[in-house]
Amino acid sequence: MKTFAAQSRRDFLKTASAATLSALAAGFPRAVFSDEVKKIKASADTVIVLWMGGGMAHTETFDPKRYTPFSKGMAPDSFLSTFPSIDTAVDHIKFSQGLEKTGQVMDRGTLIRTYTAGDLGFILHSRHQYQWHTGYAPPQTVAAPHIGAIIARTLGPLNPAVPAFINIGQRFDVGEGEELKAFTTAGFLGSEYGPFNIPFPDQAAETVRPPGGMTPGRFADRNQFYKRLLAASPLGEAGSDYQKESLLRSFDNAHRLLSSPAAKAFDLSLEPLESIRKYVPGYEPGRRFDAKQDRFGAKYEEQMVGRFGLGCLLARRLTEVGARFIEVSTEYIPFLNWDTHENGHTRVAAMKQQIDSPLSQLVLDLEARGLLNRTLIVLASEFSRDAMIEGKPDKRIKDQVEVPDRVEDPKHYGMHRHFTDAGSVLLFGGGMKRGYLHGLTAEERPCKTLSDRVIIEDLHASIFHAMGISPKLAYEIEKRPFYVTRDGEGKVIPELFG
Amino acid sequence: MDGAAFDSPGCVRYPSKRMNPGLSQLSVLLLAASLTPSFADLTPAQLGQLPPPAASPVHFTKDIKPILEARCINCHGRGKNKGGFRMDSRETLLEGGDSGPAIVLGKSAESYLIELVMGFDPDSVMPQKGTKLTHEQVAALRGWIDQGAPWDAGVSFGKLEPINLLPRRPELPRRTSETTHPVDRFMEAYFAAQKIKWPKLVDDRVFARRVYLDVIGLLPPPEELQRFVADRGRDKRAQLVRRLLADQENYTLHWMTFWNDMLRNDYRGTGYIDGGRKPITQWLYAALENNLPYDRFVAELINPRPEAEGFTKGIVWRGVVNASQTPQMQAAQNISQIFMGVNLKCASCHDSFINDWTLADAYGLAGIYSDEPLEMVHCDKPTGTTAPLRFIYPQLGDIDPHAAKAERLEQLAQLITHRRDGRLTRTLVNRLWQKFFGRGLIEPVDEMEKPAWNVDLLDWLAEDFADRGYDVKKLIERLLTSRAYQLPAVPAEEQTRDDFVFRGPQVRRMSAEQFRDAIGELTGVWYAKPAPQIIHADGATNRFAVVRAALVPADELQVALGRPNREQVITVRASVATTLQALELTNGAELSHLLQNGAEKFLAARNGDSSHALAEALYQKALGRKPTAPEAHAAAEILGQPAQKAGVEDLMWALAMLPEFQLIY
Repeated sequence: MKTFAAQSRRDFLKTASAATLSALAAGFPRAVFSDEVKKIKASADTVIVLWMGGGMAHTETFDPKRYTPFSKGMAPDSFLSTFPSIDTAVDHIKFSQGLEKTGQVMDRGTLIRTYTAGDLGFILHSRHQYQWHTGYAPPQTVAAPHIGAIIARTLGPLNPAVPAFINIGQRFDVGEGEELKAFTTAGFLGSEYGPFNIPFPDQAAETVRPPGGMTPGRFADRNQFYKRLLAASPLGEAGSDYQKESLLRSFDNAHRLLSSPAAKAFDLSLEPLESIRKYVPGYEPGRRFDAKQDRFGAKYEEQMVGRFGLGCLLARRLTEVGARFIEVSTEYIPFLNWDTHENGHTRVAAMKQQIDSPLSQLVLDLEARGLLNRTLIVLASEFSRDAMIEGKPDKRIKDQVEVPDRVEDPKHYGMHRHFTDAGSVLLFGGGMKRGYLHGLTAEERPCKTLSDRVIIEDLHASIFHAMGISPKLAYEIEKRPFYVTRDGEGKVIPELFG
Repeated sequence: MDGAAFDSPGCVRYPSKRMNPGLSQLSVLLLAASLTPSFADLTPAQLGQLPPPAASPVHFTKDIKPILEARCINCHGRGKNKGGFRMDSRETLLEGGDSGPAIVLGKSAESYLIELVMGFDPDSVMPQKGTKLTHEQVAALRGWIDQGAPWDAGVSFGKLEPINLLPRRPELPRRTSETTHPVDRFMEAYFAAQKIKWPKLVDDRVFARRVYLDVIGLLPPPEELQRFVADRGRDKRAQLVRRLLADQENYTLHWMTFWNDMLRNDYRGTGYIDGGRKPITQWLYAALENNLPYDRFVAELINPRPEAEGFTKGIVWRGVVNASQTPQMQAAQNISQIFMGVNLKCASCHDSFINDWTLADAYGLAGIYSDEPLEMVHCDKPTGTTAPLRFIYPQLGDIDPHAAKAERLEQLAQLITHRRDGRLTRTLVNRLWQKFFGRGLIEPVDEMEKPAWNVDLLDWLAEDFADRGYDVKKLIERLLTSRAYQLPAVPAEEQTRDDFVFRGPQVRRMSAEQFRDAIGELTGVWYAKPAPQIIHADGATNRFAVVRAALVPADELQVALGRPNREQVITVRASVATTLQALELTNGAELSHLLQNGAEKFLAARNGDSSHALAEALYQKALGRKPTAPEAHAAAEILGQPAQKAGVEDLMWALAMLPEFQLIY
């Protein structure tokens, strides 16, 4: 596999990803190099972000605290965790019940328990997500690029036939969809580096197939025919106009992607059933995971167990053929998935069920294929949750969820407020330490960060560092430098690296 | 330190914003130094390190000015006064700054400036950025100070007089037998100077296609095109321009896109979720439909009634907003950029490094929109001070700082739209020139403080525009009836180069909306329903012949083709074709559905026509011409005999992918 990657890079340079070059020529932002941008040896070729959109409570997942079972009439501040903790493969690291399989691969990973979200005031999830993904808080005077776009722009595709930035599992016609779009973009870097969106992983194959109803034969004929018309078209007057060239090259690129052997990676039906079932237990062939948003049915998460699993499987397949940056989301929809404003306990149980198998299997599969060393997996969320505290203990913000004096109904048993003073980030591979725990949080409420605080700039700097990119790298827009970490101030966290 | 003691002219500028205790103590010493000639501030060791002063007479312009320009002026000139110190002139140099006098005339070894450039104290080295001054440079400065710091008359590093600001009316060059149009009379001189001969003008078909797309954003319908080509009238091109400008509905729908991009108006977008944004669609539609004079258009945006206030209210996401992005600051940035072609974004946070705008300039304008005095925040740190309320170009007039906000907005609107504001007009003229010719008279179009490549032409057009009542349609007509516009398209430049030479309009790419509308014309399939409720001038509601792309929120096809999300002001869209666009066009569901429906409609309407006739009809719709023999042959082959629906779809697709379809040439 290693030779593959090296070869792909050479191919990339040889075929010179025409669109990338034409984008450069068209006055797209250029990198600003200063003395401070040093050559960094990359420890990873690919990044996979597993996005727990909606606010994953650390005390219910990777940072369990004292467990208090439900009892009618209990005080709302009497519980820190609503699940017992379990052992992992690493003695001093405990997880919350429901993450057993992930616990078994913890010896391959690094766990940050002290990720601290920004102080953006009254909570809007998409705003924190924007900050997580771009390193900047909106609004911004220029369109800030997603970290996937920065990596795509800086490093290019690993395999020229695979889009450099692939985004799996998030729709944009849901609540806050416009805000999600505002950061799921290459921004000022230009759409060449934007996301290749696959909202439904079970339908990924369709994104690289001929359009609906068209046979591959007809698709090929259509392209041949187009080439004939193109050759016959008398638009010679404009000569070698760059507009024309860039148009034609873009079609060549698209066609290369659609006809490349790598396109098979998108087709999950080519995966053996037993292998799919390791990601999605009990999966039956042909099962669809496109349930509509069902906010009040409360059955949505149960129906969707499996969609994230297929997303992770797709990520593995794409990593195998040379993807550069992949994000797989559990999908952010207001009040669904990790966004638990009520019924936190039961819903988080479903969410853990949704992620435990695929997360652990992804690690094992990449390891078995010799790819884990060069693939950095980052599981993260925009912030955490708590039963009582909205914001940070010393910076409380406007509450969004009513907490009753006594918890009579199980629906009030769980973490329903937005907590920004500690959250968990799980890292595997790509040069990170194995079996390492970073940062300490308080055992009692507020379960806040006590040491080794990690902020987004530093987390990004570390991800960039693993990819061989300086946190001080900047791209020029409107004559000023726009740094890949805010104002170039991101600091690599050396303890994370093995 | 009690600054008041030093608050005498020619001594210390006070108060200081960020007084460094160490430095202030030093300034006491320096002041003492200037009073007590025997006092030496540097240690003997340091004195020993000083390069000896240049012995020969120092020439200011030759020896000193280049050093100041390269290393000092960025922070201490052109309106900037870091540390309260300005080097605009000899006078301000001698005044010194927050830390005291900069130089002691005749005594370079006792001059603070020399100490700073020597970098004896690592915490205060000048210049702060970049390398230290060389030995020779320090020697020159010493010599200059010792020789009394002579300063050549007329040299100033003060704020430059802005260019392209006040109206200027160059004389219209003489007409020749060839060129009567004002634009061409200026171009005649330009071409002569560039030794370029007027190329032959484009033929009727190319002209019609270009002008349809530029005025109403649509392809010419085949029958209209035929009529135009057949017309023998001498004035037919100008007549066509006027006829298209008079097509209110299509003109308006085309120009909605241009203004929506700039004014950040859309049917969906960030901020709407919380009421943090307000659409201005109805106002904008009516303004374009009625061809509202541009001065009034701008005034109504700057000093709005409720239906237009969305523009200056900006976009507010829920939560805490950074000081450089408050609604007032957004208004300041956007007004400056859109109407005046200048960039205040950097200056919203700190004195700009890329242009001469200062934090006070940005806050002076933002404050006009604020109900309360607006405290200046420097890079997220409150300064405790406010900026005097004023427009970024005080030359254009004053804002009464004591007036209520409503009155201030009225004053601001008057000031920007006053006849003496020649920037407003130049900026729009330049934007339209850029749209029609592919490259502005000034490029980039948001840097209006650069000289135009044809200054007289820009200045004349701007005056002409104002003279004729700020009538945008008349301005468009002026541009599009010129011979310059009718020249053959030239290859697009890959870079905006300063040595640009105009030879004709550049090849451009259709916008997302133009492409989608062109597909509508090709397939007969349009959008189902407009997103806004538009009330027309005559009271009718949503009366549209077809629902064009500008009337709906961006779908995947439009997004892929570059319709922006309008979170930021967009004055020029990126035109490069990307792989993701090509993918969307190759296998995207949207286009695929359009073509399927279109093929069905097309065949149903032409039941029984031969494949040859069908191919010709599609070529006429898509490209405005008959297919050549090889094209006809290929087209008939793909259509099948008799024509199949799949064949029609594929021919439509292939035509729409041709550069001849997607480019404006």
